[in-house]
Amino acid sequence: MKYVFAKEIKMNMKSLIIWSLSVGGLGLFCIILYQSMQGDMKEMADAFSNMGAFSDAFGMSTLSIASLKGYFATEVGAVHGLGSAMFAAVIAINMISKEEEGHTGEFLFALPVSRMKVLISKALCIIVMLVVFTVICTGMYYVGINIIEANVKGAEMPAGEFIRYMMMQLLMNLEIAAICYAISAASRRSSMGLGIGMALILYFYDLIGRVVPDLKDYLFIGPYSYANASEIFSGIEASTGSLMMAVVVTIVMMGFAFWYYDRRDLAS
Amino acid sequence: MAKNVIEIKNLTKNYGRNRGVIDVSLEVSEGDIFGFIGPNGAGKSTTIRSMMGFLKFNTGSIKILGLDSVRDRNEILKNVGYMPSEAWFYPDMRAGEVIEYAARVRGIDCRNEAAMLCERLKVDRNKKIKELSLGNKKKISIVCSMQHRPKLFIFDEPTGGLDPLMQKHFFELIDEYVNEGATCLLSTHVLSEVNKYCKSAAIMREGRLTMLESAAIDDDTFLSFYEE
Repeated sequence: MKYVFAKEIKMNMKSLIIWSLSVGGLGLFCIILYQSMQGDMKEMADAFSNMGAFSDAFGMSTLSIASLKGYFATEVGAVHGLGSAMFAAVIAINMISKEEEGHTGEFLFALPVSRMKVLISKALCIIVMLVVFTVICTGMYYVGINIIEANVKGAEMPAGEFIRYMMMQLLMNLEIAAICYAISAASRRSSMGLGIGMALILYFYDLIGRVVPDLKDYLFIGPYSYANASEIFSGIEASTGSLMMAVVVTIVMMGFAFWYYDRRDLAS
Repeated sequence: MAKNVIEIKNLTKNYGRNRGVIDVSLEVSEGDIFGFIGPNGAGKSTTIRSMMGFLKFNTGSIKILGLDSVRDRNEILKNVGYMPSEAWFYPDMRAGEVIEYAARVRGIDCRNEAAMLCERLKVDRNKKIKELSLGNKKKISIVCSMQHRPKLFIFDEPTGGLDPLMQKHFFELIDEYVNEGATCLLSTHVLSEVNKYCKSAAIMREGRLTMLESAAIDDDTFLSFYEE
């Protein structure tokens, strides 16, 4: 089992590095920009906080974009929230189906290793990759925040909220990965487009849910509900319902992937 | 009397409304080189893939090396060398890495046997899979199926893409392993392979299997198997 895991890690290493550096780098770039934009921020903050539903959707009615944490929640929150979800979806949705799409399943499953062990190895690979991705991005954001705190007077990032935000993003990524893993187990072809689409739909579901009053009660269904940057940096705790939903969805989806894949025919 | 290495009883597998195989029963005894012939789509690969556990069959039972193919799948695969009709591997891996990976997953040290096989089949271990021709990928598939010295070989059209010299080496290797006690199930469309190497044979047509009295078949009889 460890060799299947090691092979998956090796095969996905390039993707991990590219996505980590891209999303982390983009986030770092956004943070660095704070210094040059800070002068105009106060007027922008006033304008943005009075844009009704738009301000609510991006959390600018509760947080000032002029503060470092408000700016981080608004700018990096969008970049990381969308980028990390796409990464989670892309790696998970191909993880199982690639064996049939690339016709390598007959080689792999002719070896004395059960389908269950292969799926466990692949799931562990996804978890490790998402953790490493989050650590790299956290490190890059941390560097950016330190640069800003050292150069901009009064700029401050609350460490607890920053760590909580990154942890919630990791949890959200795991939930999205679990959904895509289940799709991958049921699919015989690469569904990269579906994975990216899934990440976008979940992101916009949360965005629309925050604008349309009737949808607010159903926000907890989506994974972005407990990982929303503006709520976390405003000190709002994630609802129990949304966290429970995340745990249930993750377990059900993983369970389905294992159950279904163990029972189905493998394509040649 | 030699014991049966493969025992298939009343195997039926369908793909929804499409026919796979119907009520197939088959016995292959130890030390045999068993020819498995029949037209494309007759059900040879479905039978083989059911034996390997890739397909979940509807009814019947399969015993390999005395073990149940569903319950004891992993134990069976430790002693089976399988070569699919098309050799596909991970494109970015090198040939040597693929061979080593297969051995490692099996949990055994196959380095000496793999080295011998690579030398005889002239496998360039340093080339990436994506740089290899079909024939060279087939050679890697042969090494992966033989390096752990299995008790049973299952080959699904193994010689397609191999040059005549490599085909000769391939059958020499099979002969050597069979002489040491292994058994071989050979699915093929090549009459000369059946005539020259197989001790017994069966034909599949439209999902049903018929045992042949002898593996020595003439051209006309062989071609008649492929007629509608």
